[in-house]
Amino acid sequence: MSIVTDQIEKASGAADVAAVVAASAPRRKSALRMLLSDVGACIALALVLVAIFGAVFAPWLAPTDPYGNDLANTLKPPGEGAFLGTDGQGRDMITRLLFGLRTTLMMGFASVTFGCVIGGIIGFAAAYYPRLSGILMRCMDVLLSFPAILFGLAIAAIFGPGLTAVIIALSIATVPLMARVVRGSALVVLQQGYIEAARSLGLSDLRIILRYVLPNCLSAMFVFVTLRFGQVILLGAALSFLGLGAQPPTAELGAMAADGRNFLFFAPHVSVLPSLVIFAVVLAFNVLGDALRDALDPKLRR
Amino acid sequence: MLRHTLQRLLLVLPVLIGVLLIGFLLMQVVPTDPAQVRAGPTATQDIVQAIRQELGLDQPLWKQFLIYIGRLLQGDLGVSIINNVSVVQELGNTIGPTLELMFASLIWAIPLGMFLGTIGAYFRGSLLDRAIMAFSVAGVSLPVFFLGLGLIWLFGFKYPILPFTGRVGPLWTWEGLQGIILPALTLGGVFVGPVARMTRTSVLDELGNDHVRTARAKGLGEGVVVLRHTLRNALVPVVTLIGLQIGFLLGGAVVTETVFSWPGIGRLAVGAILSSDLPMAQGTIIVLSLGFILINLAVDVLYAVLDPRVRAT
Repeated sequence: MSIVTDQIEKASGAADVAAVVAASAPRRKSALRMLLSDVGACIALALVLVAIFGAVFAPWLAPTDPYGNDLANTLKPPGEGAFLGTDGQGRDMITRLLFGLRTTLMMGFASVTFGCVIGGIIGFAAAYYPRLSGILMRCMDVLLSFPAILFGLAIAAIFGPGLTAVIIALSIATVPLMARVVRGSALVVLQQGYIEAARSLGLSDLRIILRYVLPNCLSAMFVFVTLRFGQVILLGAALSFLGLGAQPPTAELGAMAADGRNFLFFAPHVSVLPSLVIFAVVLAFNVLGDALRDALDPKLRR
Repeated sequence: MLRHTLQRLLLVLPVLIGVLLIGFLLMQVVPTDPAQVRAGPTATQDIVQAIRQELGLDQPLWKQFLIYIGRLLQGDLGVSIINNVSVVQELGNTIGPTLELMFASLIWAIPLGMFLGTIGAYFRGSLLDRAIMAFSVAGVSLPVFFLGLGLIWLFGFKYPILPFTGRVGPLWTWEGLQGIILPALTLGGVFVGPVARMTRTSVLDELGNDHVRTARAKGLGEGVVVLRHTLRNALVPVVTLIGLQIGFLLGGAVVTETVFSWPGIGRLAVGAILSSDLPMAQGTIIVLSLGFILINLAVDVLYAVLDPRVRAT
């Protein structure tokens, strides 16, 4: 949750969105250039791409089997035999980290996708049909009044701990946020003259939304999705750390960090390495999201 | 003012019903028949049926829901299926330590965050400002458990000067006070960044205002300008935003309690879910939700008290 969310909500305020929308079409090239002129954003972007690459190609990149125990070589510190050492079951840490990243990013991707698609539909519906707006947005308010951790606890209690429970919980927690962002920017777009023109041409509602409203809301949605991805990974890893998410022996970064607690004093790398990877990936998404927002918002340009 | 409060209260009602409904449904998914469990394995079908009637389990679902609400209102949340302890009693034991932990975390994190945010805003664009903002983003991205484990390793193992094995004693004893330092550093640590960021935005908004220019023009010292004319006005949004971050704080508290074996309600909830202790899990989730709703409501009303513009609408 956190501050980033507030920033998004702020960014979804009508005026800001108008600015973002106005900037998106003709100035997209300069926005990209501005993004690339920011060193921090470039590093963040590179980190995100490396992480995605590592996660996608984990089965081919990993030197060993992520689930093959080697009890003769447990808890080796980095450098001895394996480059980053081994964990409590003698599994190679590089392999585990790659597969852990794969699980964690997949969990984040699934939650953000489900949450944003549903939230997006609700947001567009609420913006396009003022009659629906009241009831839909009140429902979103109700969902918003719960922190993600409570969804995590409740869903894990109902369905039992596991990755599915985490994905359901984080999707639900994402829906109202996305709905707000989309509704905010869609309302601004709907005031434009070309929407009236499209309406007077007799185009169907769906066509107007898909062809004219959606493309003009994309930049605001994109900023939100980037920032949300980082938060969702952080939350999912925390839930897995608590034992409510991925179950052993599944490699997942939060669960791996929890596993390493038992050896914290004599083999800290088992906990530290997965935690560091989470930190780096979330930081990269947050920095990238902030930079994207700045690049797409001409008001902040100097 | 009154209208604003009433509106808020009205919005709380569906939330409340939702929470209770989820709590109720939680009990419905139990695969075992509670009447059968209570009757014991050797009971005849007649006895099970009688118990079912006695417990109201033969009633339609909506009636069971009403019965359940009635029991809740009497403060009856059932007993743990693991150790037969009353759920309400266990909640009573754990809520204190959780509040203690939250308080001990906020009492240093909020002032520090506000201090850093004000400095950042005042020296906008400077190296110091950038460093503070970088620190803030890093803080938002840091997993709570990483910070906790790092502190345990550093101050519990490398330089063993502080205890990290839970609540060693009440807060007013020396041991108890020492015991809360590391958990409070952990939970507060992830809160400094967001507070600094909110304060910075809010102070920046204020610094651009005309009355600040006037204050400077009439020759007031910079200290007075920042403290009395800027920070004071900036405080309103910061206070409410901090209130709205309670969910974030709650999530952090659950993890912190688990890392430090702190006997709080978050650890109780996680333990209950992991051991499939449904009555306990249900009780903790209901109480956490209610607490959260209440705090949100309080913040909303407080906002109206602090800011007359909200009152007017």
